[in-house]
Amino acid sequence: MSASRSAIWWGGAAVACAAVALAAGAAQEPDRSAAGVYETGRLGLITQPDQVAPPVGPSYGVGPYPLYPPELAAGGGREVVERDCGLCHSTVYITMQPPLPRAAWQATVQKMIRTFGAPIPEDAARAITDYLAAHYSPETRVR
Amino acid sequence: MQHATDLTITRRRLLQVLGTGIGGVALAGPQRGWGQAASAVSAELPPFTGPGPNPYWNSVGPFATYPQKLPLIRLTDRPVQLETPRPYFALPITPNDAFFVRWHLDRIPNAVDLAHWRLRVEGTVRRSLALSFDNLLKDYPAVSLMAVNQCSGNSRSRLQRRVPGGQWGNGAMGNALWTGVRLKDLLATAQVPPAAVQVQFEGLDRGEGPEGRGSSRFQKSLDLTNPVLDECIVAYAMNGAPLPLLNGFPVRLVVPGYFATYWVKALTWIRTLDRPDENFWMKTGYRIPDTARGNTTPEAVASGQVHTVPLSSMPVRSFLVTPDHASKVPVGLPVTARGIAFSGAARVNRVEVSVDNGQHWRDAQLGEDQGRYAFRTWSCAWTPEAEGKQVLAVRATDERGNVQIDAPVWNPGGYLWNQIERQEITVGPAH
Repeated sequence: MSASRSAIWWGGAAVACAAVALAAGAAQEPDRSAAGVYETGRLGLITQPDQVAPPVGPSYGVGPYPLYPPELAAGGGREVVERDCGLCHSTVYITMQPPLPRAAWQATVQKMIRTFGAPIPEDAARAITDYLAAHYSPETRVR
Repeated sequence: MQHATDLTITRRRLLQVLGTGIGGVALAGPQRGWGQAASAVSAELPPFTGPGPNPYWNSVGPFATYPQKLPLIRLTDRPVQLETPRPYFALPITPNDAFFVRWHLDRIPNAVDLAHWRLRVEGTVRRSLALSFDNLLKDYPAVSLMAVNQCSGNSRSRLQRRVPGGQWGNGAMGNALWTGVRLKDLLATAQVPPAAVQVQFEGLDRGEGPEGRGSSRFQKSLDLTNPVLDECIVAYAMNGAPLPLLNGFPVRLVVPGYFATYWVKALTWIRTLDRPDENFWMKTGYRIPDTARGNTTPEAVASGQVHTVPLSSMPVRSFLVTPDHASKVPVGLPVTARGIAFSGAARVNRVEVSVDNGQHWRDAQLGEDQGRYAFRTWSCAWTPEAEGKQVLAVRATDERGNVQIDAPVWNPGGYLWNQIERQEITVGPAH
């Protein structure tokens, strides 16, 4: 992928270079640097949390931990997933995983019910497994 | 889809540099290098990796800021799992505010009231104890030990085939100076009778699940005959400071050489048992095949033939920290490759580096010996002699002769990964 990207770029650059060389004439300073390139940031800005004074007395605490609910893929079963999977953990546990085949999702849902005792009825479990396989498997996952 | 995005970015970048050029500043010729750099402004990592192995050193989650923490890589938010970014491992000791975080269940403490918190030593003992934080500070001798704390699933995202679980890169580890009281001093005070066989540890890592299930309490146990108990510390300080809440304030168990699953955070109950612990986190979770390197196959697991044992000590590992993927090294420039190594079994006494993708190896220089359970830093001078992609590799050996090999690990829990690490470095022309 990066090879093809480079090829596209170099091709473009070569054409551009030739065009500018024609316009500006050949006797220029050597091309020693590129400079002054900025772009409005879309990524990477993390606001600093305020410096909170710790509680007085024998209590040692930090306040709430932040939650960032992910946007799960749109589709039938999403609400059941958000409700039932979200009983014990956030649904980032789903989006963090690599694409998993249906059998792996089924085993995971069954583990939550049989091993961990999640109160998820059978029809909901089926809907959850169908949803996960439909959006988070190697064949179906897009984001 | 991915291709189209790349093309768009490339055209935009091209226009920017073109604009700069027309404005009178120098313009790139094809043999120059700057226009090639990807934009850190708008090009983001993919939100997940797989089904192939995670190709990045760390996992791909976003940076997020948590209480008492610098921005770390967020794996999950409820319960909290945070990974330490690679550059922090350039330090021989991992700072508390960069130390990785891994909780199992979602009712984790936001605050602890030391007026009411007590460390209880109970179960099969002659004398139950309920110790305040102050008791731990004043009634028992303080000891300090530097030791690596590494998640059992560190590097899980390398496995093929991929397994469910926390998709850690390499940053679920850290090295700290732990200070506290000896576990054996507490057990001696409580007087453990011969009838006791195991000691169970439970902290404030609790969940919504029904009582008696692994979703309710997190508990780990060790055999009372295990010699590691003599080295365990109930730590109330980490690098000379209180533990961050997310790392287990007020005290956590330190089990030197063992995976972090035993290092129970917010430790509140030490319970001796007269029969082996059969709770989920011992009987089902955190187990590995009883084979060399914990290796097995999906087929063997499916056949039900795999005998498992609880995880214990950490295999030998080494990591290259710098130079990294972002470095482009001019040919002929002397650089120093640096990193860390450790082993749960014995002191690391050799680190070797290859600059030709593992064909030839040379000894790296070892840094200060911080103790047998600590990070051992290493460095290796390297002057690249040829342009192009060069692959650096690193392997460590410990005093018992355990050495990393160049073969993957696979087990269904995604534990024990310790294959030789590699880093591809771009070497460019110097003129």
